[in-house]
Amino acid sequence: MKRFGWRRLVASSLLLMALLIKAGAAETRPQYGGTLRIAMREAPASLDPCDATQADSLARRNVLALIFETLVTLDDRGRLHPSLAVDWQFGPGNQRWQFRMRHGVRFHDGTALTAEIAASSLRTANPSWKVFAEGEAVVVELDHSDPDLPAELALTRNSIAKKNGGGKLSGTGPFHIEDWQAGKKLTLGAEENHWRGRAFVDAIEVEMGRNFHEQLNELELGRANLVEVAPQQGHRVAMEGGWVSSSQPMELVALAFSGDPKTANEKSLRSALALSVDRGSMKSVLLQGAGQPTASLLPNWMSGYGFTFSTDADLKRARHEREQVSTAPNWTVGYDANDSVARVLVERVALNAKDAGLVLQPTTAATADLRLVRIPLASADPWIALANLAETLGLAMPKPRGESGEDLYAAELALLAGQRIIPLFDLPEEYASCPVLNDWRPAADGSWRLDEVWMGKDRP
Amino acid sequence: MMFRRKLLAVFALTVFLSVAAVAWLVSEVTRRAFARSDDERTAALVTQFRHEFNRQGDEVQRRVEAIAGSEAVSRMTFALSRAPADSGPYFELAKSTAENSQLDFLEFVEGGGTIVSSAQWPAKFGYPEEAFGSFSTAIEQGPFLKQEPLQEGTVLGLFAVRATRVGERPVYVIGGRRLDKNFLSGLDLPAGMRALLYQNRGDHFSADLLIDPSTSSAEKMRSSEKLQPLIDAVRQYGQEMTAVVPWSGNQADDEVFHAIPLLGTDAGKDHPLLAILLIGNSRRTYVELKRHIRSAALLVGGGGIVLAILLSSWAAARVTRPVEQLAQAAQEVAAGNWNARVAVSGRDELAQLADSFNRMTAELLGQKERLVQAERVAAWRELARRLAHELKNPLFPLQLTVENLVRARQQNPEQFEEVFRESSRTLLAEISNLKGIIGRFSEFSKMPQPQLHPMQVNDVIRGVAQLFQAQLEAPGRAKISCELQLHPRLEPVAADAELLHRAITNLVLNAMDAMPQGGTLTLRTRGEDGKVLIEVADTGSGLTTEECERIFTPYYTSKQHGTGLGLAIVQSVVSDHGGRIRVESQPGRGTTFVIELPRG
Repeated sequence: MKRFGWRRLVASSLLLMALLIKAGAAETRPQYGGTLRIAMREAPASLDPCDATQADSLARRNVLALIFETLVTLDDRGRLHPSLAVDWQFGPGNQRWQFRMRHGVRFHDGTALTAEIAASSLRTANPSWKVFAEGEAVVVELDHSDPDLPAELALTRNSIAKKNGGGKLSGTGPFHIEDWQAGKKLTLGAEENHWRGRAFVDAIEVEMGRNFHEQLNELELGRANLVEVAPQQGHRVAMEGGWVSSSQPMELVALAFSGDPKTANEKSLRSALALSVDRGSMKSVLLQGAGQPTASLLPNWMSGYGFTFSTDADLKRARHEREQVSTAPNWTVGYDANDSVARVLVERVALNAKDAGLVLQPTTAATADLRLVRIPLASADPWIALANLAETLGLAMPKPRGESGEDLYAAELALLAGQRIIPLFDLPEEYASCPVLNDWRPAADGSWRLDEVWMGKDRP
Repeated sequence: MMFRRKLLAVFALTVFLSVAAVAWLVSEVTRRAFARSDDERTAALVTQFRHEFNRQGDEVQRRVEAIAGSEAVSRMTFALSRAPADSGPYFELAKSTAENSQLDFLEFVEGGGTIVSSAQWPAKFGYPEEAFGSFSTAIEQGPFLKQEPLQEGTVLGLFAVRATRVGERPVYVIGGRRLDKNFLSGLDLPAGMRALLYQNRGDHFSADLLIDPSTSSAEKMRSSEKLQPLIDAVRQYGQEMTAVVPWSGNQADDEVFHAIPLLGTDAGKDHPLLAILLIGNSRRTYVELKRHIRSAALLVGGGGIVLAILLSSWAAARVTRPVEQLAQAAQEVAAGNWNARVAVSGRDELAQLADSFNRMTAELLGQKERLVQAERVAAWRELARRLAHELKNPLFPLQLTVENLVRARQQNPEQFEEVFRESSRTLLAEISNLKGIIGRFSEFSKMPQPQLHPMQVNDVIRGVAQLFQAQLEAPGRAKISCELQLHPRLEPVAADAELLHRAITNLVLNAMDAMPQGGTLTLRTRGEDGKVLIEVADTGSGLTTEECERIFTPYYTSKQHGTGLGLAIVQSVVSDHGGRIRVESQPGRGTTFVIELPRG
């Protein structure tokens, strides 16, 4: 001990500290390589962006965005950005739009992206549009004014895809398909010559059809780097030391009636139900604080006026509305049997309704008087999102569409006035990741942006 | 009925009644034994159910105590004791804890009676627990029954409550197990027994409330219909009851159900009837055993009866054979066979009877022979008397004539010639008379043997009537009317028509002699007991009893000039035909002769 000496000990310690600091600094620089393993609940059977038979979800959109690109993109504030189109122009009345295509973009099979291919892809996705190539530009001509066409082109279904002779899909995204087991597993490889540059990770493996519990297990066992987390579990996972990140609320949870109210009595009963729902206790207990109670269709972060819709339960008014009707029918409330949160939410709604004198019978049957629905918002653009919501719920979108926030408010009020839907919550997308996943953070609209993440080294 | 058959019937009836009595006795003893066994098995099952109920209750209580003492619940209690209390993080605690503790029901209830977390109805957090008022009682009394409202309806459960506290505010843990098919299936039931549970909810009986682990839904509907009266009775009176439930027309399918009311301990109520335990005990074993006993009884009875018939036949034959021999011998004696004898074997009463019968017949035969000899002597005496009488009458004139001849020869020789001529005529006349007498006797002794041929008696009767028609209606004679009463379908008889005609003619002549003042002669034929009867009746003065007894005796006559051979000849003819003749008469009321001839 004496021969070793204090000086030598201090020098060794300083050297070791320097090495550790250097190693730490090296970790903060992005590194190429590695395979990113993702698990998700959705299990799409097709990767075709314009396949309308596939259920829309943020997860599917994000997976397709790795392979396919759109002419334009929206950022998480709803602003348009060039993508495969470098710029665009519109004619008088917003009926003719011209998008000039980017040069040097190639599909994964090596084919160069042309205006003709892009126009063909858009025609497939939108049979009612008149789309054609005009030189290096794609022209879209509409029979009505549509100022939001560029935002609509940013939707996943309008991704530019090309089918080769064997029906194999090819895109221009940062990753190409290496292996696809429909509904089970997708393996993607980084596109070396992507026009925005190569992604950091070499490959991405996406395991599909895994429930939240299985995803968390796989994350804990190191078999997945990025998993989805149920909103009500996010808080607990974070408390247990997990790396949890979330988007802005991008999913509307609501009660949707199968049809319009036919009588004044039915309107009173629907009002009674809407007034009886205690969203606060549901959020604090069932959702464990996640999400935002809402009585509007669009989340407040998107519309800016969501708070003006009252979410508080008013049992007194609910009973009063109920008492306006002598005999109330027993309503069945449907929910997805695979969604454990939905079941508890529905049961809670039924309990609240019982307090107001209504009888609701939860059911997993396909047909019901009303259903608990979870609708992912289609876009960060409020008009696009609202229109998509209306279309999904089978509601007629009020016309004409305006430009201002007041117009949006009026449109949403008109949709809610039909009493077809009772908004309950806006839920965010929550993810848990492993520590080796660097620069990962979902966008406000829930987009993954995985071309920016990189895999660090495993820590002991 | 023959004595042997009577004896046989008595034997068979005795055996049958004995077997029936034994079978009934065995069946009754079996029924009582099974009833006792049923009671014992039911009582055992009830005891077992209560034991299982208590065991399950203790287990629930033990688990609830463990949960109440767990670290997670302690943390929750501590968190809820702080202000502001946030129950949100413990929303799923009840469910996960219930799964780990294998409880069907588990709720955490804060001190104010509000549900913090519910395993059975997670959405019910924040709502008041309905049974909160009875928690203090339940903690003291231990496990209890309770109807638990669920989303899909109310179910019955066995619950226990424990309290855990940090500081002043307690948190109650109420957990339980569902009384359902699994609970009932867990009971260790003997073969042929089963347990059902009826959950007493609502005002009316409902098939959906019957828990029957052994049947399907459709069968449960049928079961409930049959069990409804018993359940309704228990619901009404709140007492244990028993009833036999017939499931089909087959008695073997019947079940005895013992219904036991299960009461709750809800606060503010007087032990409400929460459920009814139905313990079913199959009667199949009993009914099948009863059938076996009945079959065995029938088999034994049938075999016994057959054996009884055989044995009684043998015994009856052994007993009745001497009697039958006696009867046969008596019939032979009655038929005229006085030599009939009965074999005597043994020294019993029947042997003595047979010996007495033999001695009796021997004595009768001796008496008959003596009587015949006496009659024969009497007949000979009568014959001699008649013969002497008949011969004496012509002999006396002969003697006088011969004496006149002798006297005339000696005293009047000149008149002798004349006397001689007259005497000769007299002598010849008397000698002729003697020859006539001798001829009639000779004729009687020479009655010919009948030549039997099938013939109609009515024809003979009509011939006789026709023969005497003119004589009966002759002038100067008192009128005798003749009536024919002939059976139209008389069967033929084997007879000698000539001899029969002669016999009936003799009877008609006698009848005419009996009616000097006129009257009615009736000739009648009829059939009776395999015989043909011929009746010749007159309306004359009739006969005395003595005359009737002697009237067929040869040479007996009640007439002044009769020979007494007519009716003897008639009797001889009838006897030669295998028949018999009798006379029925009363003085002053006429006489009827009846001839009985065998048919064909």
